[in-house]
Amino acid sequence: MNAVFSVIFILSAAVLLVLDPAEFLPALLDGAGKSATLCLALLASYAAWLGLMQLWEESGVTRGISRLLTPLCRKLFRTEDKEALSAIGMNLSANLLGIGGAATPYGIKAANLLEKGKNAHYSSSMLFVVNATSLQIIPTSVVAMRVAAGSSSAADIILPTVLATAFSTLLGIALTMLFIRPRKTAPKPGPTPFRSPRTSGAEQ
Amino acid sequence: MKLFTLVIPLIFLVSFLFAVVRKVRVYDSFTQGVKAALPLVMSVFPYIAAVMMLSRLFEVSGLEARLVRLLTPLFRGLGIPEEIASLVLIKPLSGNGSTAVLADLLARYGPDSYVARCACVAYGSSETVFYIGAVYFSQTRNKKFTGALLISLFSYFASVVLCCALCKIL
Repeated sequence: MNAVFSVIFILSAAVLLVLDPAEFLPALLDGAGKSATLCLALLASYAAWLGLMQLWEESGVTRGISRLLTPLCRKLFRTEDKEALSAIGMNLSANLLGIGGAATPYGIKAANLLEKGKNAHYSSSMLFVVNATSLQIIPTSVVAMRVAAGSSSAADIILPTVLATAFSTLLGIALTMLFIRPRKTAPKPGPTPFRSPRTSGAEQ
Repeated sequence: MKLFTLVIPLIFLVSFLFAVVRKVRVYDSFTQGVKAALPLVMSVFPYIAAVMMLSRLFEVSGLEARLVRLLTPLFRGLGIPEEIASLVLIKPLSGNGSTAVLADLLARYGPDSYVARCACVAYGSSETVFYIGAVYFSQTRNKKFTGALLISLFSYFASVVLCCALCKIL
């Protein structure tokens, strides 16, 4: 993130310096202003969802869902941390339902817990990729926008969207497994995995 | 379509009913949860602010438009209509920005045109990658996620190619 941020920032600033230096500060302030507006919206959304999430916690919904998803998550994220697995399970279910407001707090919690784990780099990268490639089953907001624009068949994009979402998530998972390998593989002693010298390509 | 609008109210209703049945002190519990919202937003703010300043800078400097122009031949080669090139590039950077572009495409080409359908699928099947990275890992010390970032962006572009092909058949 540091490298990406620096490169884009320096390039953009340099171009603006030559073309239109007066636009530099307004651009920064405009971006910051928009982020303040967004944060206010997020505060409202988190307030509603975090309240509900606490209810889920205390009525046992969280425990039920995470028990259901833990076997899958344990394999995918290579972690044994129960709390992290539960947060990941809730993050995934909220994403599938398309409620970003609830998915994000669980995602942040999972990221914080995974950092302390054994396979921190791998598990965190997997969390990043699975979330960044989108999991939402029904693209509710797009369908709503199509209805608003007067579409005669607003829902006909659902099938291609679901296929594209599934494709990008599976591709992302496969690439993560391939390029960002977990440090220690399965706990049982198997044949020593062949380590090729070009593993560092995707790291850092 | 009405069905989708029922999902969220139903989730809340069922959750509250269930909590009452399980004898949870609903008001105490709910407010306890809300309490965490403010610190969460405060910890996330610097990262959102940085990413949004960056994306605005990228846009105002004209680099974004130049990148779109540069990539158009590549996009055409991959079967992505050039009309949606800017949407494809903005989506990983800015949620609001890409929503505006999508609305514009829907209005300009009509929601049932091939271009608009490609745009809808590309938009609906992806996430704001940079924002996810910034927010999810805002509190972790280790922020070395270039690998994950590249993988996410690559999977995204691959799925855009796929959705433009799917929109032709489906």
